[in-house]
Amino acid sequence: MYRREYLRTLGATGAVAGGVAGCLGGGNPNTTLGEPDREYDSEDVQFPAWGQQVPDVTLPAPLSGEDVSVRDVDTPALLTFFYSYCNTVCPVLISTLRDVQTHALNEGYGDEVSIYPVTFDPERDDAARLRDYGEKMHVDVDAGNWQFLRPAGKERTKEVVTDEFGVYFERTHPEKMDRYMFNHAAMTLLVNGDGYVERAYRTQSPDEQRIIADLKQVR
Amino acid sequence: MNRRRLLTALGGVGLTAGGAWVATNGLGGSAFSVTVETLDARGSERGSLRLPVDGEVTVLDLFATWCGPCEKQMESLAPVAASYGEDVTFVSVTNERFGGSFTREYLRGWWRDHDGDWTLGHDPEGELMSAVGANGLPYLVVTAPDGSVTWQHGGVASESKLRGAIDAALGR
Repeated sequence: MYRREYLRTLGATGAVAGGVAGCLGGGNPNTTLGEPDREYDSEDVQFPAWGQQVPDVTLPAPLSGEDVSVRDVDTPALLTFFYSYCNTVCPVLISTLRDVQTHALNEGYGDEVSIYPVTFDPERDDAARLRDYGEKMHVDVDAGNWQFLRPAGKERTKEVVTDEFGVYFERTHPEKMDRYMFNHAAMTLLVNGDGYVERAYRTQSPDEQRIIADLKQVR
Repeated sequence: MNRRRLLTALGGVGLTAGGAWVATNGLGGSAFSVTVETLDARGSERGSLRLPVDGEVTVLDLFATWCGPCEKQMESLAPVAASYGEDVTFVSVTNERFGGSFTREYLRGWWRDHDGDWTLGHDPEGELMSAVGANGLPYLVVTAPDGSVTWQHGGVASESKLRGAIDAALGR
């Protein structure tokens, strides 16, 4: 299932195990971290990958009432894509970022990272729901370094999440449930303070230690 | 770091994609060794504990308080833990990091509310998860007295499945 979603997100280009063009030498002047070990080049995939600029989108942060322009964030940023009614993948993504937030606050670098989970279910994930969800997940939603982002409406969500960030999601209607759910891909991005992608963690269970270590190098 | 530990735990076998391999194929009777902090909670004392527990059949339950299915797992773990008494060591371990509203007090309360009455461990670096190749929660592992893994299970395990796995490890 995840494999299928992964391929689907990569689109027709597929995950070609080539990587020839990536061997022209050295790192990227816009990133701190070197090229990750992977089987594709950044330009061949539909999501913002290592060394590329994060999409220039501005999204409402309903809990603070602010608008966040993702590319203009001055600190390193972590983004992920979720919906709060999700039972399986999203709580893992959110709890991982929550644990990173807690690590940052505990270790005194809370103001050197910004965390932006983007919902693809703006219909149900309104400000009140997101606050409740954050509190349930033990997120410190008032710490200033965590903002849930909520695209305005269905169209805009597709435009941002799928078209700009390359994250597949599709509404489903499970038989045994009285509410809709989503099939979706899992991706967490680490973006540096200049707005370039340092890492795209394309997994349902991101390694928190890895993220903390990568973040340490970037901040 | 985790990767290196995992390889060491597997006896240095040169797996290129350690975690993924374990998640797919299981530990296949291999042993691992991870020390976790144990907490002062009902049925649990503050200290540290090396897992699996040497010389005893051990049931490990990897969980998180935010995880709905983990609450469900407690419903079948509690009667099983009560019925095996001292023949089997039960340890539930969360990797949630303390801070903000997730405090020791909160965890103790959650534990009480979900009928926990055995050892409660804390593994904020996720070493145990890596060592056993847990790819989701809850994740259950049964080990034999020699420390070898005899059973592992991703997702909620029923009471009868648990009993079957424990009995097999006990040689019953």
